[in-house]
Amino acid sequence: MAQKPKVDPHVGRLGYLQALVTEFQETQSQDAKEQVLANLANFAYDPANYQYLRQLQVLDLFLDSLSEENETLVEFAIGGLCNLCADRANREYILQAGGVPLIVNCLSSPSEETVLSAVTALMGLGSPSAGSHPELTARPVVQCMLRFSLSASARLRNLAQIFLEDFCSPSQVAEARSWRADAALGIPLPRTEAPQQP
Amino acid sequence: MASSGGQVGGVFDHHVQRAVCDSRAKYREGRRPRAVKVYTINLESWYLLIQGVPAVGAMKELVERFALYGAIEQYNALDEYPAEDFTEVYLIKFLNLQSARIAKRKMDEQSFFGGLLHVCYAPEFETVEETRKKLQERNAYVARMTKNKDHYVTKKHKDAKDFRGDFHSKTSRFPAASLKTSTGNSDLCLPYSSELPLCYFSPKCTCSSGEHVDRPSDSSQDGRNSGESLGRCDHCDSLQKMQMKTSQNSLARRGAQKTLTPSEAADRFMPRTTQLQERKRRREDDCKRGTLLDACTSSNEAVIGPQLPVIPKVDMHDDSLNTTANLIRNKLKELTFEITFERHLTMGQVFRNHNLKEKDYSLVLELGFRKCFSHSGTYISQM
Repeated sequence: MAQKPKVDPHVGRLGYLQALVTEFQETQSQDAKEQVLANLANFAYDPANYQYLRQLQVLDLFLDSLSEENETLVEFAIGGLCNLCADRANREYILQAGGVPLIVNCLSSPSEETVLSAVTALMGLGSPSAGSHPELTARPVVQCMLRFSLSASARLRNLAQIFLEDFCSPSQVAEARSWRADAALGIPLPRTEAPQQP
Repeated sequence: MASSGGQVGGVFDHHVQRAVCDSRAKYREGRRPRAVKVYTINLESWYLLIQGVPAVGAMKELVERFALYGAIEQYNALDEYPAEDFTEVYLIKFLNLQSARIAKRKMDEQSFFGGLLHVCYAPEFETVEETRKKLQERNAYVARMTKNKDHYVTKKHKDAKDFRGDFHSKTSRFPAASLKTSTGNSDLCLPYSSELPLCYFSPKCTCSSGEHVDRPSDSSQDGRNSGESLGRCDHCDSLQKMQMKTSQNSLARRGAQKTLTPSEAADRFMPRTTQLQERKRRREDDCKRGTLLDACTSSNEAVIGPQLPVIPKVDMHDDSLNTTANLIRNKLKELTFEITFERHLTMGQVFRNHNLKEKDYSLVLELGFRKCFSHSGTYISQM
């Protein structure tokens, strides 16, 4: 690893993050937006940056980007949120900002990475207990997870299973299972659902 | 989009090597050209897929090379995985997620027996239990890091408040340069960059809080977490380190805040002993202006903190001689203070450049200061 710079890195880091946010808002180039969003989402992996990201309202930036038409931007934004959700303060912020419906919408994305990040983000928001946030274990969500648990994708299967076992009560799962499948609203399967050859 | 249908290079999308990005803005270019990709905990895994291994029977050497980064739990060739002609694909499972991260970062695009390796994560090989464990470890790590950080930041803000109180009472004799700079620039009227609180731009606050806040990420450099922060650092720090100056310039152009330089930071850091000395000196100056006879060891000000040792006065049994002695004594004190202060400033900068920890720095200053003071005390008492 290279030597640390002589300048206090956290002073430079805040400025750098601010420059990224500014570029994201000002640029007209989709490529630049994607690059900057990916950069911010990767920064969101390191807990050392959380205070700066909150301060610069990057969490809101991610939540807003979930409604973008560009699938790549959505994928990067939900990736950033997935990285952030492990932290309690970020979790509370996202819940208060009404982030759950936006993240639930991502469960129907055609991109597997988006779906995986959305499931993980929901799990992050749900810990330590999902009981305090019923929208996280609403019936459509649980039904969606039940379908994911039968997916051909091992990653999706694993995550869905963990969601059902750790974040839903057995009664919720049973109720969702017994509900008519065709009445499940709002969350179609991602296109990756079709079984692939080995 | 998850599967490329069994084509060479990737059964899954996340196995496919993406093209490097060549259109990045200069200020955010890293040292190594990289693709545009986001890494989440879902993607990272103990399992690494290694493609492009020349089919020369070098499995043992490959495993040995990867084992440099950590203990390997299992490894095997993936014969059914689509591969380029004359290359093989291997799967290696590390015991430690940290090791896997570092190995992936170091070994990707490395030359091996004439071929270029392509290393990627392979989370699809995990069991449910392994995925669960991975998520739990990640949550525990974040909780630990934010807990440490909160502790340091709270402690440092508390110290910074006391520090700031003393500092503000100083005269312009001290290099109190940019207390006033960079506080009024938060007029970024962009929705996501809200008005930033003053303290984040106050050089002292960022300087002092930065030193300690840096520690958690410093401490995370060793041990099992080093790879994570290194991993992110490689994405982020390499970019921001290399482009710090450029970003500073661009920020200046946009009228954003002035960032600290190392010498400014060193100048503004004043150890507590010199603050005490400064207060004492000012008291003595005032007294001297008021009366020449009194050496002003007593004062109307409330003295805060430990008193510095008072030099014992020698009575010459003669008024005029006593006056002279007092004058000389005061002058010596002034000179001693000036010399030691200058020296400490220089020493401070030297220590900063060598990244000494703050506690070492202030300890050396204390020792140095006491030494100077006792030296002058001895000299004066010999009169």
